[in-house]
Amino acid sequence: MSILQDIKNAVRSRSIHVAYVDVGSCNGCDIEVLACLAPRYDIEQYGIYVHNNPREADVLLVIGSVTPQWVDKLRDIWDKIPEPKVAVAIGNCPISGCVYARRGTLTSPPVEKYIPIAAQVPGCPPRPTEILNAILSVAPLIYKDYEEKQL
Amino acid sequence: MRSFIYYVREFLRPEWIRKFFSVKTAPLETPTYFKDYPALTGKECTGCFSCMMICPAPGAIAVLRKKDEWEPEVYPGHCIRCGLCVEACPEGVLSSGRILDLTGHDRTTFASWYHLEVDDNLCMRCGNCCVSCPVNRQIDPQLAGTGTSASDEVIMRIEGGRVRILHEEKCTGCKTCEENCPNRAIRVARMVEGVHLEEAEA
Ligand code: SF4
Ligand code: SF4
Ligand code: SF4
Ligand code: SF4
Repeated sequence: MSILQDIKNAVRSRSIHVAYVDVGSCNGCDIEVLACLAPRYDIEQYGIYVHNNPREADVLLVIGSVTPQWVDKLRDIWDKIPEPKVAVAIGNCPISGCVYARRGTLTSPPVEKYIPIAAQVPGCPPRPTEILNAILSVAPLIYKDYEEKQL
Repeated sequence: MRSFIYYVREFLRPEWIRKFFSVKTAPLETPTYFKDYPALTGKECTGCFSCMMICPAPGAIAVLRKKDEWEPEVYPGHCIRCGLCVEACPEGVLSSGRILDLTGHDRTTFASWYHLEVDDNLCMRCGNCCVSCPVNRQIDPQLAGTGTSASDEVIMRIEGGRVRILHEEKCTGCKTCEENCPNRAIRVARMVEGVHLEEAEA
């Protein structure tokens, strides 16, 4: 059992699949996530793969300060992700609403109200290195010995 | 055939195989000029609130009274790392990246004032703004409940059935008028201009 678990741990540490969803932002953070994919930061060298499919995702990056149209859809996306899963809030928007947290705006942050958030990466926008570090440090916490923890 | 052998030989080089499995981009270091969250320099804060006034992000910075001294506190998750507070602080209490070096080198600073604007289509001439304004109250204690005033020194007064702004420069930016306007007709805008200090002042 534990050998199997070790293999799973090793494989999972090099195969983190990421989906990201923008629930109403200025696009700044999306561009920083995109920069992670570019050769300068090259997220795939760490075994992190970004494809926007919740069905095969391990990590969900949530960007933006939740507009009314996203309230139920965000929940749907979260429910579609198979266990073990983890959501990371990218940027100030999902944490506090950033510059949209004013009278008269339609957004309703924080995103924690809708889905459980495991880690936050503050910044407007955060540096790609900060995003990378967050994914790399939060993913093993969730996936390591996942089956054993379930028992 | 020769090219095939060439290819196989090329890919069997230990150097190539080693690189294929282990190559990484250089460790990513944060450059020294990165404008991170403003940090305290240790200089004394006078509690002038210029930093809070200029901050564009809601809830990003608060100047707190700690024992006998003031101290600004920046909240990640709200702060957008624009660095305006660093530039606006006259005492150099905050620093971030190379902003202080650059403003020192270029001898630039901020000048700011408040601009009042009344939307005549929304305003119903109730006079709430003129009456609620604490500066108005101080200048003319006789200010009438309708917002009319005999004094020419008030910031604004009702004149001929309209709000007339006389002394915008006296506004302290408290936004009491905005809060007391039933129609959100009056708006207080903070205007900021970058200015270049003269040789003598710098
Ligand atoms: S945190 Fe800032 S950069 Fe990111 S989406 Fe919100 S407003 Fe844009
Ligand atoms: S860096 Fe900008 S957003 Fe952050 S506290 Fe200073 S003025 Fe506010
Ligand atoms: S940090 Fe600077 S700008 Fe802010 S209150 Fe203190 S002295 Fe004034
Ligand atoms: S409080 Fe508003 S509606 Fe009343 S006079 Fe002033 S601007 Fe006009």
